[in-house]
Amino acid sequence: MEDESANLSVAGRRSADARTDSVLVVTDVTRSFRHGLWPLGSSVRVLQGASLEIGPGELIGLVGENGSGKSTLMKIIVGMLAADAGTVEMRGTLGYCPQLPQLWEKLTVSEHLELFTNAYGLDRQRGRASTARLLEELDFLRYVDYRVESLSGGTRQKLNLALSMLHEPDLLLLDEPYAGFDWETYLSFWAMSEQRRAAGMAILVVSHLIGERERLTRTYTLRGGRCVPG
Amino acid sequence: MKGVALTGWCFLREQLRAPLTLVLLVVLPILFVVTASSALGDFSRALGGDARGEAATALAAGWASAFLAGAFGFFQTMSSHEADQRLALAGLGPAATAIARLSSALAMVATVTAAAFVALRLQQSVPHVAHTFLAIFAYACIYLAIGTAVGSIVRDPLAGSLMVVFIFLLDVFSGPGMSSGTSGLATVLSPSQKAGELLLAAGGRTSSSPGDWIGAGLSVAIAVTIALSVFWFAARRR
Repeated sequence: MEDESANLSVAGRRSADARTDSVLVVTDVTRSFRHGLWPLGSSVRVLQGASLEIGPGELIGLVGENGSGKSTLMKIIVGMLAADAGTVEMRGTLGYCPQLPQLWEKLTVSEHLELFTNAYGLDRQRGRASTARLLEELDFLRYVDYRVESLSGGTRQKLNLALSMLHEPDLLLLDEPYAGFDWETYLSFWAMSEQRRAAGMAILVVSHLIGERERLTRTYTLRGGRCVPG
Repeated sequence: MKGVALTGWCFLREQLRAPLTLVLLVVLPILFVVTASSALGDFSRALGGDARGEAATALAAGWASAFLAGAFGFFQTMSSHEADQRLALAGLGPAATAIARLSSALAMVATVTAAAFVALRLQQSVPHVAHTFLAIFAYACIYLAIGTAVGSIVRDPLAGSLMVVFIFLLDVFSGPGMSSGTSGLATVLSPSQKAGELLLAAGGRTSSSPGDWIGAGLSVAIAVTIALSVFWFAARRR
């Protein structure tokens, strides 16, 4: 994602008491969705003052039931959705792995990696090194010349994840990144995450499962539109 | 600039890998011009227009390229919106992504224009080759821009395609050669009005005035600018 060295304020306001070493500070974010045609429809408030904070080298879990607003919060942090109110402040570079793979069906794995190498502004050498490392870590080198349309769901998800990590961002947002992974890849994913965390990367993993708690530094539970620690 | 070129080239490769789409983009304009052009003169007469014979056939080539370019622009933009937005947010930026997407589509639309032009050439002699080709290309560019703009903001395939068809029909029935007058809001707002006048002149074997060329060029420039702006708006960071 784009360099966010200047802090980003989603709603145009800034939180004055943000920790100076935090990579991400989300403060009092609210978001409603309207259903049905105006004026007959109704409005559902999904986020009601969600706040969270992540420092460098933290591997944070964001858990919650289906429909609790986890993906909505992710999209607001990334900038795909606007918040109704509240602020999002980031430092450094951002990587985002969406819940559903957002790919071009008729482009190959290597073409996707080339496009994102270019978008992240990586030089050719660094792009190649990073690509080779991710292909090996996620074990899908043999699919590098396959078009996305011919990949299985799990391999698409590997590519989806690899695209978000290509530039080794300061903050990595993962929205249920292991959906469709086999057991070996699932374990590889956590090993990769732990390795990056140890190197100082801040990682926020969204899940509706709580079985991975022991792998995480801290967790937030999204309940009633708010992020509750623990 | 290099990044835009690389991205545009990748987008073009993506489109070239859809063989059925390619075949339809080449075959449909030819079929339309060959089969429907003779009926268009009668249709124009019924509506009070003045497109007859070779002028009506020339107009058919413009419409065929316009409709296919509009449909192509809409569906390719709508179907790739999320991936395009992801790339834009990754650092390429919404403006560069928009330029890459539209420029790759323009290459495809040039193919549609060529097919429509060949079909026209099969039907009748074309004395003003460049004039005729550019007029058909102007039609295609304007509708590519309309389809791209609609595809950037409408996510529902049915609703979006209906919008493109509605704009096209309104434009066709109020455009030059098909209506009796030049008044009325639909005529004033007709996006292909100037391109149609160019094409009618080419089909009628007369030259167009500099004013007509400037008008058609402005129509294309305005349509492309609107399409780029709407794409940028839909792909930008919130």
